Amino acid sequence: MNNTEKYTQVFMTVFQVHKEALDESFTFANIEMWDSLAHMTLITKLEETFGIMFDTEDILNYGSFFNGMKILEKYGVDFSI
Amino acid sequence: MFLAIDKHKKEKIALMDDHKNRVTYQDICVFCNVYGKTIKRRSLLFLLCRNTAGAVLNYLACLENDIVPLLLNASIDEELLEELCQKYDPEYLCMPTDATDMCKALTGDGKVVLEEYGYRVIWMDTDACPMHDKLALLMSTSGSTGSSKLVRYSKENLEVNAGNVAKVFGWTESEKPVCDLPMNYTMGLNVINSHLVVGATVVLTDYNLMSPDYWNVVKQEQCTNFTGVPFSYSILTKLRVDRMELPYLKTLAEGGGSLSENEFKMWAEYASRNGKRFFATFGTTETSARMAYLPPDLAVHKTGSIGIAIPQGEMFLLDEDGKEIREAQAQGELGYRGPNVTLGYAVCREDFKLGDVFGGEYHTGDIARRDQDGCYYIVGRKSRFIKLLGMRISLDECERLIRDKLQVENICMGKDEKMVIYITLAHRCDEVSDFISKKLKLYRSVFEVRYIREIPRSESGKILYQQLEI
Repeated sequence: MNNTEKYTQVFMTVFQVHKEALDESFTFANIEMWDSLAHMTLITKLEETFGIMFDTEDILNYGSFFNGMKILEKYGVDFSI
Repeated sequence: MFLAIDKHKKEKIALMDDHKNRVTYQDICVFCNVYGKTIKRRSLLFLLCRNTAGAVLNYLACLENDIVPLLLNASIDEELLEELCQKYDPEYLCMPTDATDMCKALTGDGKVVLEEYGYRVIWMDTDACPMHDKLALLMSTSGSTGSSKLVRYSKENLEVNAGNVAKVFGWTESEKPVCDLPMNYTMGLNVINSHLVVGATVVLTDYNLMSPDYWNVVKQEQCTNFTGVPFSYSILTKLRVDRMELPYLKTLAEGGGSLSENEFKMWAEYASRNGKRFFATFGTTETSARMAYLPPDLAVHKTGSIGIAIPQGEMFLLDEDGKEIREAQAQGELGYRGPNVTLGYAVCREDFKLGDVFGGEYHTGDIARRDQDGCYYIVGRKSRFIKLLGMRISLDECERLIRDKLQVENICMGKDEKMVIYITLAHRCDEVSDFISKKLKLYRSVFEVRYIREIPRSESGKILYQQLEI
């Protein structure tokens, strides 16, 4: 699996959704299920999957499927491969 | 006045919220006065709560004017709300103005009699409800399931607990708590009461701990204390709040379930290293929120302890025959005596006529241990309640919900932070986990649905819980 696939997989598992549901509208504000426990689970899964540890600010601002990738890039996760 | 509201500085802000409301102690007095002229005394009112100034104002005005509110979460499942309305037939429904559409079916032609601070009071044109003079407030025994079993509070219960808790913490009017625990949850309400009684400013918020908005509020308002359930502390840990610059936040309080040993240690040490105080507390809905606290200077040494009784209270242990255990170091069911023990339960409208059934003594159903210094530790639970994310959940209630709504035979079991549901229909596992997660509004990872061929029962038909694994 490449990083994009791994990333998508994490969201699919955490939110129990199909790949198709993951677009720019998949945000904290839009998705009812995305509550604080889901958020905790997501952050933990991402940290495990990519072997990183987020800064507080990034955890707090991790509010969307798309923008999340940009945050991960700061930690050296490469989505182009 | 209730909580001596009229004795505090008139111009001081008492309540503030996410919607830029700023309500002074004087404003509360004025609102209470208007309320008293509009809403009938000794009537029953359902208050759908959000953590906003409007909700707290309605609560305070009810208490001040001898109107009896049942506090419910505004995001309560509609069906559950309907059930409660049918059962208790409230004379008034009070809800956020923007939620009234959702409740059209319930309120029907109800007449709006008051609308202020984003809240609306609707007269339901129903018969008055006879109730005991002492009855002042109702809370659900289990917040999320909106259990129809209620706890009956007197005004004294609330005021005396507010005062004693304020004393234990040493609250003064210069405190500024951030209050994100729902006010329809007994400890959330206690945070509000115990600060209003000393004339402080309560910062109400509906933002969740995981949002940047929440921390903006804490920083901008320079909040001085925080109260959280175990799940709140898990979030604080995850967010590495121990590395955040929070110079004004001086007190961290915990309650509503036990922290893991590691987390307890970590936060106790964090507080002592940074000149802050970590307070572990313990209480139940039946004892008006708080009955015990661990003095912060003991927190580092007594990991996991709930400490000693609050002023005017007394804790004790009971053996299997219900007799009080006299030995200093012992283990048994935790009991409590004090003026904050509520009046008793209500399961139907008739019960509102009942007086003080508990008689100042409550047996918690928790098994506790007492150490040589008289400090208590919770070690387990006797009753069929668990805590998920700090919310007390009745397992019996969940079984009933799944059975009634999905027609699935089931058994709910669990320990704190996890519920296991056994069902006899393998193909409906997902459906059950979906359903219960939506009903309780809790993320599905705290539920695990397992298939079992047959529910183990004794000859008399009693479920043999001990044969099932958690």
